[in-house]
Amino acid sequence: MERRQFFKALAGSSLLLGTKGGGFLGDLVAFQETANLSRVEARYYKKLPDREIECQLCPRNCKLGDKERGYCGVRENIGGTYYTLVYGKACAANIDPIEKKPFFHFLPGTTAFSIATAGCNVNCKFCQNWQISQVRAEQVKPFDLPPQDVVASALKYSCPSIAYTYTEPVVYFEYMYDTSLEARNKGIKNCVVTAGHIHQEPLLDLVKVVDAIKIDLKSFSQDFYKNYVHGDLKPVLEAIQTVRRSKVWLELVYLVIPTLNDDAEGIQQMSRWIKNEVGPDVPLHFSRFQPMYLIQNLPPTPISTLEKVRDVALAEGLHYVYIGNVPGHKAQGTFCPSCRRLIIERDGFRIDRIDLDGGKCKFCRNPIPGIWA
Amino acid sequence: MSEARVAVIRAKGFLTSGGDLYQPKIDEMIQRGLKALTAAPEAREGLNQIFAKNDRVGIKINTIGGRKISTRPELSFSLADRLIKSGLQDKNIIIWDRTNRELKEAGYRLTFSSGGLKIFGTDLDGAGYETELVSHLNIGSLFSTIQTNFVTASVSLAILKDHGLAGVTAGMKNYFGSIHNPNKYHDSNCNPYVAELFDTEAVKRKHRLSILDGLIVQYNRGPSFHPQWAEPCGVLVFSRDAVAADYVGWQMIEKLRAKKGLPSLQEDKRAPDYLSTAEKMGLGQANAQKIQIIEDEV
Repeated sequence: MERRQFFKALAGSSLLLGTKGGGFLGDLVAFQETANLSRVEARYYKKLPDREIECQLCPRNCKLGDKERGYCGVRENIGGTYYTLVYGKACAANIDPIEKKPFFHFLPGTTAFSIATAGCNVNCKFCQNWQISQVRAEQVKPFDLPPQDVVASALKYSCPSIAYTYTEPVVYFEYMYDTSLEARNKGIKNCVVTAGHIHQEPLLDLVKVVDAIKIDLKSFSQDFYKNYVHGDLKPVLEAIQTVRRSKVWLELVYLVIPTLNDDAEGIQQMSRWIKNEVGPDVPLHFSRFQPMYLIQNLPPTPISTLEKVRDVALAEGLHYVYIGNVPGHKAQGTFCPSCRRLIIERDGFRIDRIDLDGGKCKFCRNPIPGIWA
Repeated sequence: MSEARVAVIRAKGFLTSGGDLYQPKIDEMIQRGLKALTAAPEAREGLNQIFAKNDRVGIKINTIGGRKISTRPELSFSLADRLIKSGLQDKNIIIWDRTNRELKEAGYRLTFSSGGLKIFGTDLDGAGYETELVSHLNIGSLFSTIQTNFVTASVSLAILKDHGLAGVTAGMKNYFGSIHNPNKYHDSNCNPYVAELFDTEAVKRKHRLSILDGLIVQYNRGPSFHPQWAEPCGVLVFSRDAVAADYVGWQMIEKLRAKKGLPSLQEDKRAPDYLSTAEKMGLGQANAQKIQIIEDEV
């Protein structure tokens, strides 16, 4: 696809991605060098003797010999230097409502120019975008979309923010960071949708250049992280605390999977931890699970379960607890914790009404935390 | 489970004075190995025990490490030649791995003529990966269409080497190159992933023969090539039992490490425990008492 067609497709707001596949032998046409990979030196790694390296971007700390690829599938040791293979190589680009991320207290009712590259540093068995996240860099057909073009696209389509989303932006850190800088210089905000499986040093650098981060807290159990995420809970909790201490807006999402992470006790512990360590004002979204990827044998989360876990979190004192992936549910709306009135009414990704005035409840003048403009 | 049979063929003078492989010696090793493994009087008859005449045979090689530490082309071609001489059609034989780039870097010239031997990677336009996910135990992967569609019988012709995470990479782990996401299966010393991948229908049902390239063995700091830890051993290991072949290969590496004063893989906390997992799953023998080793020297 030509660049022109790419941007034309973008205007239709369709997710663009492609994994390779096809028939066998019937349509072999020629030998092609199909891989469109970057070779930009990675940040956050240590050179070791004998052309080995240790990646220090995420808690996996992959130690790699020459020609080896990290767990993420998009960073490679070539001759003792570590490279990102996806810098400026977007495999998905879309114009999304910011509510889709979801961000509910960040520029509501606006669109985010949303991009992704291939790769992820965890492997959730319930991944919703596994066709692009759980693949290696050469297994998608990316577009050349350098940082300045991402920003130009956001401006062209009047998106006040750029979202780094769909896959795991930590694995394309350099691309995200440079784009964020470029965007900030042009007055565009940056928001990140991540699992938060990242080391502190790169995270502390990242919070200097972005405006909002949504972290998927997959469970409050290390066993769950080990068995269903292939990662660790502790660094994610540390990431949440770090973002909270920064000036960056934070929201949390918890995908509720029947029988796996929906027990009231675990939800209560997590809610208590959030209130104590992060504060009661951080929005928490309980999202509905749909059978996906490697978990096909469980039903979608019952609405009653979502309502129950929301009640637990509210009872623990969290102020903004939402239910996601259930269009039309009243818990998609934002209620003022002071006067209990509905102040932002949502239907799916659509905003029907905002009763805020200068970041305060229009009815009782209670400040509502968030980035509203 | 029945006893496993493994043929270990050693050769002296397998390198020329220039350091290249001496092809006649390699050919002889292949023939001897097939005969020893099958107890057939000729390699051709031995191969006929393993493959049907109408099989489409995939020779899965390992080329990730570049020219110096990949399955050697001389070995791959020697095996392909033997298969053709045993009555298989050359058009039904493919030497393959993940990518064309890696194949070329390992010294292979790509070809896909409809009437002849084929050499190419999964990333060839028109091949690619399946779009339907295979979910089996802890494995969730897309298989190469070469493995699923083209191949009816598979040979793992793998380089034998030390591996920083798996302990040893050999015939079973070679099938990591038949899926789209091997990077996801290196935790816990690749255990149980190597065994569980082998247990999938796409591999287990088609695997017929393991041959380990132990001509020059990287016994430390693999899987990358480091000349100071690479030993010219002149060994090929043959078995129809993939677990037993790898077990014997592992022991070779341990002997080399001991000889060089290096800690064992167990001491290094990276023993290839996936082999005992594979044995427990009934995939083959990882017990020296149940492996019959036939040795020969060329």
